[in-house]
Amino acid sequence: MNSEHETHHVHYGLIFATLCLLTGLSIISDVVHIESKTLVVVIVMAIAVAKASFVALFFMHLKFERNWKYVLLGPTTILAIGLPLALLPDISIHYYRIDIPQTQVTAQAEAGSTPAHSEGSHHEGSHHE
Amino acid sequence: MSHASPQPAVKMGLAIPNSKLGMWLFLGTEIMFFTAFIGSYIVLRIGSPGWPTDPADTHINVFFGGFNTFVLLTSSFLVVSAHEAMRHEKYAKARKLILATLLLGVLFLGIKGIEYYGKISHDLLPSHVAETDQQAMNKALAEIEAIVVDRYDALVPKGNNIDDKRTNLTTMIGKADEAAKPPLEALSALDTQFRSLKSHVKADVALEMPLTLRPVVLLTGSGRTITGTVDDAKQADPGTLLITTTGGKTERVPLANVKERRAGTPLPTLSFETFKSHLEEMRENESYGPLLAGVHHPHPVLYGNLFVSIYFLLTGFHALHVIIGLILFAIVLSLGDRLDGSWIDYIENCGLYWHFVDLVWIFLFPLLYIV
Repeated sequence: MNSEHETHHVHYGLIFATLCLLTGLSIISDVVHIESKTLVVVIVMAIAVAKASFVALFFMHLKFERNWKYVLLGPTTILAIGLPLALLPDISIHYYRIDIPQTQVTAQAEAGSTPAHSEGSHHEGSHHE
Repeated sequence: MSHASPQPAVKMGLAIPNSKLGMWLFLGTEIMFFTAFIGSYIVLRIGSPGWPTDPADTHINVFFGGFNTFVLLTSSFLVVSAHEAMRHEKYAKARKLILATLLLGVLFLGIKGIEYYGKISHDLLPSHVAETDQQAMNKALAEIEAIVVDRYDALVPKGNNIDDKRTNLTTMIGKADEAAKPPLEALSALDTQFRSLKSHVKADVALEMPLTLRPVVLLTGSGRTITGTVDDAKQADPGTLLITTTGGKTERVPLANVKERRAGTPLPTLSFETFKSHLEEMRENESYGPLLAGVHHPHPVLYGNLFVSIYFLLTGFHALHVIIGLILFAIVLSLGDRLDGSWIDYIENCGLYWHFVDLVWIFLFPLLYIV
């Protein structure tokens, strides 16, 4: 059965060209040496959000749908953001020293000495980027 | 009694087809599915004290990923154009566009396959990645051991365990004729090298030093302190101790004169670099070198296992969703000429699903390849 389509004329080719341009920009921001890693992450994630918006709003026609889109996507968004936020304090933030072979090796490399398997100086477990 | 024209029945529900609502509800669950994995990745990465980012370690190629992004974006554009064609009742055009979308999806999977092959050939698999130098050495030793045991099973059928087989191999070499000797001798040589390497790694002694060497400090009855090394293999006379002093002289000390014997400073330890170069020398050996083809080059990657686990989880589930999308397109294409207006909702819903797959990739690409 043919559903009603409002005659919103979306120029799909234009959206596609914009998406390609944005993809090119994110590849360039990886290839070009940018000092601050944080800046690269911010640029690249902002481009990703922009591309996702274009695909969702125009290709998936969400811009022209009615209010049911909020009812549907609201809970999913809440869970999508909420679950990682809930896990963040337990998994990401360390309140204790991490003592595993990997951190021992890193500590020894920074102290600049002794063999890989012996006990070296310990680092404070901290919130790393 | 005249009736006014009947009121139209109150319309329940949304002004979209049930199938479209169903697809959107499904996509809502899929969003939660993928954000669970992506959220876990973000949380684990922030929480990890480090992360492998060097392409020499991760074998991540941003150009492959970028090209795949273009492929999926183009396929999204083509599928939305197919829907437009369906709306304008241009069914042949719609079929062509759906076919093109399917082919681009296959191209995406092909490039993903090439990337996966690169990872697998470097043994970058979850729980296979050595993270420290010591782990890398142990892993190489385990791989060589597997090859040695395999060869023993193939060439020396007699014997219940490896030690029996070792004895039997010596006998076999003694009795074999010239033509049959080379593989047996190759195995014997490889086994000797392997056991020496393994003992050195276990004792953490430099490869150049014999394992029987023991650093000692002797205190004699006359009050003299002698520092040097004692080679257990060269002690022929039980009444004396043959010691090579640190100055290089060899001295024979009667045991009766030794008041105290202490362990000296430990021997030079095994370095990872010498281990790797020794492994390369073994590979170049003419007789048993080819046997070592299955041993991966030791390349420890700190936090590599976590990275590779997440990489395969995210891209694997995404690839699975791409395959499902291709099946949906194949169903439509199997209609051939019978594609008509009744399928427009199906095409729209396929398009929605495919756009979602593209959306997930739009986030996966920067998160895995760039960040």
